Amino acid sequence: MSLAARLRPAGGATIGRRRGTLSTARRQFGVAPVVFLFLPPALLLFTVFVVLPIGEAGWYSLFNWNGYGAPTEFVGLHNYELLWRTPVFFTALTNNLLIIAVSILVQIPLALCLATLVSNRIAGAVTFRLIFFLPYVLADVAAGLIWRFVYDGDYGLVAAAASLVGVQAPYLLAERGLAIYAILVVVVWKYFGFHMMLFVAGLQTIDPSYYEAAEIDGATRFQKFRSITLPLLAPTLRLSVFFSVIGSLQLFDLVMPMTGGGPSNSSQTMVTFLYSFGITRMRIGFGSAIGVVLFAICVLFAFGYKRTLMRHD
Amino acid sequence: MTDAALPDAAVGGTSWHGQATRRPAGSGRKRARRANLLTYTVLIVVAAIILVPLVATALGGFKTLGGLRANPFGLPTEWIWSNYWDILASARYWRMLGNSLIIATLTVSLVLATASMAAFTFAHLRFFGSGFLLNYFLIGLMFPAATAILPIFIRIRDLGLLDSYFGVVLPQAAFGLGLSVPLMRNYFKSMPHELFDAAFVDGCGYAQYFWHVTLPLARPILATVGTVSFVSSWNNYLLPLILLNTETRYPWPLGIMVYQGEFGTDWQLILAFVTLTILPTIIVFFAAQKHIVAGLTSGAVKG
Amino acid sequence: MGQSRLRVSATSASRSFCGAALALLLGVASLLAGSQVVRAETTVKWLYIETNPAIIQYWKDIIGKFEQAHPGVKIETQFLENEAYKAKLPTLLQSSDPPHIFYSWAGGVLHAQVDSGVLKDITAEMGKADAGKSWGDSYNKAALKAFTYKGKIWGVPNNLSEIDFYYNKKLFQKAGVDATKIATWSDFLGAVKALKAAGITPIAVGGADKWPVHFYWVYLAIRQGGLQGFQDALAGKNGGFAGPNFVKAGEAFKQLADLSPFQPGYLAAKWPAFAGTFGDGRAAMVLAFSATTANLQRLNAADQKGIPLEDLGLLHFPTLEGGTGLPTDTMGGINGWLLGKNAPPEAVEFLRFLTNAENQRELAARNLQIPAAKGAPQAVTDPLLKIAAQSLAASTYHQNFYDQDLGPAVGRVVNDATTDLASGATTPLAAAQQIQDAWAQEH
Repeated sequence: MSLAARLRPAGGATIGRRRGTLSTARRQFGVAPVVFLFLPPALLLFTVFVVLPIGEAGWYSLFNWNGYGAPTEFVGLHNYELLWRTPVFFTALTNNLLIIAVSILVQIPLALCLATLVSNRIAGAVTFRLIFFLPYVLADVAAGLIWRFVYDGDYGLVAAAASLVGVQAPYLLAERGLAIYAILVVVVWKYFGFHMMLFVAGLQTIDPSYYEAAEIDGATRFQKFRSITLPLLAPTLRLSVFFSVIGSLQLFDLVMPMTGGGPSNSSQTMVTFLYSFGITRMRIGFGSAIGVVLFAICVLFAFGYKRTLMRHD
Repeated sequence: MTDAALPDAAVGGTSWHGQATRRPAGSGRKRARRANLLTYTVLIVVAAIILVPLVATALGGFKTLGGLRANPFGLPTEWIWSNYWDILASARYWRMLGNSLIIATLTVSLVLATASMAAFTFAHLRFFGSGFLLNYFLIGLMFPAATAILPIFIRIRDLGLLDSYFGVVLPQAAFGLGLSVPLMRNYFKSMPHELFDAAFVDGCGYAQYFWHVTLPLARPILATVGTVSFVSSWNNYLLPLILLNTETRYPWPLGIMVYQGEFGTDWQLILAFVTLTILPTIIVFFAAQKHIVAGLTSGAVKG
Repeated sequence: MGQSRLRVSATSASRSFCGAALALLLGVASLLAGSQVVRAETTVKWLYIETNPAIIQYWKDIIGKFEQAHPGVKIETQFLENEAYKAKLPTLLQSSDPPHIFYSWAGGVLHAQVDSGVLKDITAEMGKADAGKSWGDSYNKAALKAFTYKGKIWGVPNNLSEIDFYYNKKLFQKAGVDATKIATWSDFLGAVKALKAAGITPIAVGGADKWPVHFYWVYLAIRQGGLQGFQDALAGKNGGFAGPNFVKAGEAFKQLADLSPFQPGYLAAKWPAFAGTFGDGRAAMVLAFSATTANLQRLNAADQKGIPLEDLGLLHFPTLEGGTGLPTDTMGGINGWLLGKNAPPEAVEFLRFLTNAENQRELAARNLQIPAAKGAPQAVTDPLLKIAAQSLAASTYHQNFYDQDLGPAVGRVVNDATTDLASGATTPLAAAQQIQDAWAQEH
């Protein structure tokens, strides 16, 4: 039995035995005091700061409110209707979808490829892994500022590269069509190391005897990869995709230092959109509507994904 | 594959330094050497892409603004130590790091304390609604804090905690519960029940069991959860941005944005500042890399 | 083995749990320490956005004098960058510990703040007589009016500013442009074309902040429709902000934008960075504030020297052919300080001192700003600043920045729409309609 399976809660026969133990204990020591002492702190904290707020977001989204005092101007679904009519909303959605697509189609294959390279016992593998993982531990804000510098047309590395070649440096973050792509590069730079590490761990759980058997049968590297590595890595891959998507939907800290959502709102993501249009303009109702939509997207994805693709994990 | 002892549950932890994959001997050696060269080239290029922005940032802090304009890439022609020195000598820098440390420590303490107690309850006790409540915490994993940021702001304001450390700590800890409780619960549940039975035979109550048996043996998972909570709090920007007003309370991500706003045109100062603020992270990362990587990745795998 | 291991682990576990408890206690302690320390001293919290070190130093001197004269009072300053300030102020004002004194551009944003009940009403203090004159009387009437709303006074005027074109004489010469000959918009466009032909970037602007871009559109609207046009729009007449005046303004602005007159990367440029671009001589003109331009172009230039003052010229915004606005209509700011609801009386005292006749004259004499106190602007010595001060004094209609005047939500829409217009992302009609929709939403 693999380590992972052993760590899962035991099912079947053991339950009956544990139930027996529990009922004895219950009779002797009482479950109630423990439950009422150990559970409430976490429950209270979670309910007050996670569950209630999302409910309140739904409530506030039905009002036109600037945040002071209490909401008084009930407008029903008007904020949602307004959202539907706001072009920036669709820009933000599209951008998030773009980030998700790049994360899945570029970042994960890249991470997988590098994972296969560094999971072998080559000299310096550990050092390389550390270097690749480093961007992940840095704060998004710091990474955003660093790349803002890199992309700067006057002082940045882009400027240096352009002058080396002898052309006018493009201001990538100032171009309406290019800004989001510049940000995508940074997203990959920042997060691929994390996925790579997941894959490294996953690769190391694959029994080398499978590969040996395949070698004996004369399989090529590609065949080995397709028939052994991929299927056995599938749970980790599914996990990676899950994190990519949820992470992509939350992107805020990385975007703010680089473009702030601009130029001309072309690089807005759902959260920067929420911040710019809801918070700084003090339109709590509208901002809450954005929050509710984002919540719905996240939950739908999480449920759907867990149900369909991760049923057996 | 050999198993480590049960408490060492972090997948990343046990196989950190890798299992040797046995390569076919003999004829494959030449191919292996060429493949090795290609491998190394790719690895070095990628490593360069990672490191160049960071190194350029650090070096940029040593230049003058004009020098930076003329030479963004290379070594400074003259090394302006004062850029860095002035920041290190400023109270502001240390205050920011201090704030981050306080907030992160408080968050971690709160998460560990509340999550471990709740997880213990779910792991060992079956009571009305326990199944539902366990899934309840999973809601926290499904959506980012950003979606509820406005109501959180209003709640913190109404509690009078705006502009205080706890105003940031409480929501951060709350969102951390989504991952921590299920993680710890799985871990506690996987601990051998012989210990449990033995303890009860000896007349040990739940609370005592929790304190004397569960927690000591749960060090790996506490480390994992602690690491994830700490890193996430240390790097958090949005929550402090909304909930903190006084500059003296700003943690460092907020601090660097304020600094950048203040010195917007002085790139050399900003670069020095950013370098100094990510330096603690980098130092701790390289010093404790085994634990950090294990914590962050196994937290993901198990969750 | 099991038992001893348990016992050893128990001690280390209890240690780590105690550690956590200790950390929590530390946290509570620091929380208490961090909260307001009640001493015999009163602290006045002053929030500003000023980046000019000369002004900050001037304020520091004033703080020093005030603290000496009022022992037991401490003035604590905090800086926030312009855009960050606008973004943060709403949440700041809602905290249990808002700033006592903070910067204001008056206008609709002020009205929104008053309506939210976060400001201190200082009508009484302003009316108090002192040596035959009330405090309020010491200010320029228009300035005080800007801070009056619903019959009450909510702020202390500090300075006025006018937006004009500042140009680099040497670059103009190089392109053969004579600034004295630019009177109309077509003249101006001609000058821009000439500059481009000479290989000079005509204009530096800040597309990242967006409000520097909206200046152009607003001025054109002022030139096109004048005071009447603006008042009509506010009242919803004539199509409101989507009416022909504003569409015409947009079209005129588009004419300029179509010439690609802005510096490369302008959509990522912030204030005062683009002042530095101008100071570096990389652009010929900038449409910006009266006093700050001279100072900030120098400070933000790469060599910290910028354009020498004798090479700096001032050009009033040209008139628009067919417009009903007067050439003496101006756009600019009326700036002052607001007080938070729980500001201590010492804060009011401090503001009185900060903006008293003597200090305001000093402000002018040092050419830092055009002060709002009556008579003080006459102390200005810098020639360009003098022109602006006189122009303001003779202004027939002084329009506050739309992004402040029309309130926080509509203001941002104006910024977005005009910047989109500049970058070609929208049309003059669509831009005007967007603004009108936002306005209608709030009213």
